[in-house]
Amino acid sequence: MSEYLTVESLEFSYGLRKIIHNFNFQVQKGELVGVIGPNGAGKSTLLHLLAGLLFPDKGKIYLGGRETTFLSRRKWAQKAALVFQDVPSELDMDCLEVVMMGRFPYITRWKGEDELDYQVVQKVMKATSVQNFIGRSFQELSGGEKQRVMVARALAQEPELLLLDEPTSHLDVRHQLEIMDILLELKKEGIAILGVFHDLNLVSQFCDKVLLLREGCLLNCGKTTEVMKTPQIEELFQVEFLEALHPFTFRPFFMPLGKRKSESNNIRLHLICGGGSGRLAMQELLSAGFSLSVGVVNQLDSDQELAEKLGLKLVTEKPFTHYSSDSLQRAQTLAEQADFVIVVPTYWGEGNLGNLRLAQQLLARGKRVILFRDCLGEQWDYTNGRALKILHELVEAGALVFDSWPAAIRAIGDKPPITPEKQRQKELKTTGGKNRQPMA
Amino acid sequence: MKPIKLFGRKRKVVYFLVILCLIITFFLAEGWGGGTYSFAHSLALFSSTPLSEVEETILFRVRLPRIVLSWLVGSGLSLAGAVLQGLFRNPLVDPYVLGISSGAAFGAVVAIYSGIYWGLFTIPLFAFGFALFTAFLVFYLGRIGQKMPLEVLLLSGVAVGFFFSSLISLGMYLAGENLHQMVFWMMGGFYSASWEEVKMVLPFFLVSLPLLLPFNRELNAFLLGEKVAESMGVEVERVKKLLLFISSVLVASCVAVSGVIGFVGLIVPHLVRLLVGPDHRHLLPLSFLLGGVVLIWADTLARTVIHPIELPVGIVTNLLGVPFFIFLLRRRKSN
Repeated sequence: MSEYLTVESLEFSYGLRKIIHNFNFQVQKGELVGVIGPNGAGKSTLLHLLAGLLFPDKGKIYLGGRETTFLSRRKWAQKAALVFQDVPSELDMDCLEVVMMGRFPYITRWKGEDELDYQVVQKVMKATSVQNFIGRSFQELSGGEKQRVMVARALAQEPELLLLDEPTSHLDVRHQLEIMDILLELKKEGIAILGVFHDLNLVSQFCDKVLLLREGCLLNCGKTTEVMKTPQIEELFQVEFLEALHPFTFRPFFMPLGKRKSESNNIRLHLICGGGSGRLAMQELLSAGFSLSVGVVNQLDSDQELAEKLGLKLVTEKPFTHYSSDSLQRAQTLAEQADFVIVVPTYWGEGNLGNLRLAQQLLARGKRVILFRDCLGEQWDYTNGRALKILHELVEAGALVFDSWPAAIRAIGDKPPITPEKQRQKELKTTGGKNRQPMA
Repeated sequence: MKPIKLFGRKRKVVYFLVILCLIITFFLAEGWGGGTYSFAHSLALFSSTPLSEVEETILFRVRLPRIVLSWLVGSGLSLAGAVLQGLFRNPLVDPYVLGISSGAAFGAVVAIYSGIYWGLFTIPLFAFGFALFTAFLVFYLGRIGQKMPLEVLLLSGVAVGFFFSSLISLGMYLAGENLHQMVFWMMGGFYSASWEEVKMVLPFFLVSLPLLLPFNRELNAFLLGEKVAESMGVEVERVKKLLLFISSVLVASCVAVSGVIGFVGLIVPHLVRLLVGPDHRHLLPLSFLLGGVVLIWADTLARTVIHPIELPVGIVTNLLGVPFFIFLLRRRKSN
């Protein structure tokens, strides 16, 4: 592979407003690069610069190793073609003639279209499966079909760099995928492709490389598998995402959680749960804006899987095993950083009793622990009363007990994080009160 | 894949019919009218029997120059209309969109009011000069930096047009006994058409036709939008300036010899689009051919319908043009 497009310290501004700040990147032949970023990031401006429709204030664009400052419009159009988001709605022309318009940079005024032009048009119409539209008026086609004709028109320019400005935004899912399939085929012919897409998942599934743009800055540029990760994407759009794995491509699949990231408060909670009991807790606490850590949970436990998908920090243990002292130690370290430890109503057995002892230790060290009145019911205990005993000891030792999630969330939100001063006082009070040794 | 020929069967038929129509129109218009030389003599040009002296005068000094002039003016206006509609991508654009008609009329009003006389062509000269001045004023006002955004240009044209219209009204208000001449000029007509006028406009046609017609591919690219055209290699700003300049000169020369004749330049390109579609490779030449035909007919009607009184041809084109325009509009809506 060799690079076709090289951008060097590119800068552009509209009047005083700087749109593009110092961009540097390369696109290889046969590479599909996605450009993502929020509105106003400068994505379209970048494409217009690369197509030669705007002129940079500073920096250089190389196409096929050639510097482009003095490249003529016609020559530029032979190297780079641009597909726009909008397609003309009314155009009563034969689709063949619309595609033939793409031959403009090759047709001289007096010569007209020759055999070669027809061959190229025939080839690109086949590549975009629009050869059946020959003889049909462009305006009779559906939106997706029109966009395919427009891609064919761009390809008729025989570009080595194909630029796409949100080509799939107005299309339904099937037509979006059709366009992406065409792009995958073009890649094989060695065309460098750079496209702005609004759909993160199209980029994640199809693109080799990604450029992340925000407010005119190139935040990141690299392989899709390295760049398209939840923290980066959340940072880029300031929205929380859920990441899943696409079953065919094994690439990440992003689902917006419908919540702005900036809303989250700075309170951290550590959750002790398991066996599906954490589901409600995670939902309630995340939507209230807290950040969560979870542990210890066994692998393959539904709570573990959910926490994993939500990208929470967690401590796991091998499936169906007692918690090792190592994992309990890690959970303790994690929980130490939290403002509260929350014990969710769940079934207690020999396997997860370690979690309760962990809570007890944390309480003894001054961490505030939250229980629910429901936790104290006998139906949860499969340890002949040992778990229940620890729970009661927790209550006695000063764990906070609530009746419902809203009450607990309100109380957590009202409480300022403990200052070291208060913590020491509390430590004195708990240890001085009954002087109970935590069970290890 | 079977390549679609530039001249498909349907298009060949259209070209054939339009040219046939032009020839028939020419001979009919030549014979039609009062006076001694009449309908029956239409083909006298080719007959071996010699014409009388009066007949010869009517044919060669009155009717032929008039037909040729009205054909040229109609053709020029229609071609400019087609070019400008393509450039602006706006179906309501006509050749006078840059305020050329108001500018020319103002020039004529100035010439008439001031009584300046520099020979037979004083008024056309003034009209031509002011028309070009107006066009350049509009270009200047419509320019932002190095670019000419079309909507700004369009609005500048309208504004400047209104400005000159009010100056024309002022001139007419103050005109006194010259009012009649001014009104007559502004309604447009070919009453005084002679070979001299034909000679005057012909050079403009000889220059502008070969410059305008080859821009058909650029105008086609404009159909997809200005940005798309630019991305395909069209030097948009250069093409825009060139086409606006050439068509302005062409229209100014037409207005200078005929006055303000409305609707031809608006309607004919639409009519041609109905026949062959929006492809400028056909739209431009066919508009040119058909525009002349339409104006010859309008002028023939104007001079014969209530003979011996002659109507200004501008009135005829407006009267016939408006209903046709409404028909086009409704047809478009029902589609």
